[in-house]
Amino acid sequence: MNDLQRDIAQLIIDTLSLEDIEVSDITPNMPLFGEGLGLDSIDALELALALQKRFDIQIASDSRDARQHFANVASLASFVEAQRAACAS
Amino acid sequence: MIDLRIADWRAWAPGLESAEAWQAWANAPWAPAEQGEQPDCSFLPAMQRRRLSRMARIALHVAWPLCGDDEQLPLVFASRHGETTRTYAILGDVADRQPLSPTQFGLSVHNAIAGQWSILRGQRGESTAIAGEADTFEHAMLEAATLIDQGAPAVIVVMTEERPPEAYADWIDDVPFTYAVALRVGASRPDAGAASHWQLQLSGRTTQADHTDWPFALDFVRALHRPAASLMHTWKTRQWIWQRNP
Repeated sequence: MNDLQRDIAQLIIDTLSLEDIEVSDITPNMPLFGEGLGLDSIDALELALALQKRFDIQIASDSRDARQHFANVASLASFVEAQRAACAS
Repeated sequence: MIDLRIADWRAWAPGLESAEAWQAWANAPWAPAEQGEQPDCSFLPAMQRRRLSRMARIALHVAWPLCGDDEQLPLVFASRHGETTRTYAILGDVADRQPLSPTQFGLSVHNAIAGQWSILRGQRGESTAIAGEADTFEHAMLEAATLIDQGAPAVIVVMTEERPPEAYADWIDDVPFTYAVALRVGASRPDAGAASHWQLQLSGRTTQADHTDWPFALDFVRALHRPAASLMHTWKTRQWIWQRNP
């Protein structure tokens, strides 16, 4: 995992109170929802809010691509990087 | 006149968890200091525990052993003030114009803990969430009596209050410390100990409230430790009389 991926994994753990999980338990391609980490739709909302605050980015609530962006830590990291670039330009 | 059979009970307060601790407290009560202590609720997997507030953990901790996995029993959740800690945090975010946490907002209703009980215990029956005045406990027991009258074999009643944030000090003066009391009213579990039988009577009256040293649910816990007891609890125009039958 790169630094951003690690940051996001830690953010997921802290934001969602995953008290028995550590960053090393989360791999970049592990599914976050349903199978894998086992998060649900309320977690998705909570996580979107935390990502916006932490990385100062915008996440449109009606984005059709949201499901893909939130698939795993790797896809979230790519999404955050793309959003940061978009917001900076 | 209402007859109430207390089949079993549990209570929790900071440092007061065992039956022996409650016996000692009943003999000579004191207000325990607290620093956010809460039960670990280790009977639940971590993924199910993570959305439980402090009050939810305390309420589930006391109610959990009173209901068998093979039973479907109504729940009465009672709290005069509810989750003031959560409310205060959400109001703080509103005041600061911060977006609200979906989880916190979604659970900021008085029946949230009753809902979590229902989900975590697979309870599909009735649940009631009551916020009364200083006699919330009596109203909860009245609700339990009506559910039993409608055919429920037993009812789980949980009365809980959390020590509120300092900002509420001028308004909330009846929560000296965080506590929860759960009672199983009605039929006992097969392996349960002795039940106690009570009569509750309401008579109208217009006087000032009697001063009680402890929240009434805890005065009731004290009375549960005595073989014979009668309690009087007055609030506004309502005078409740509790009598323990031999």
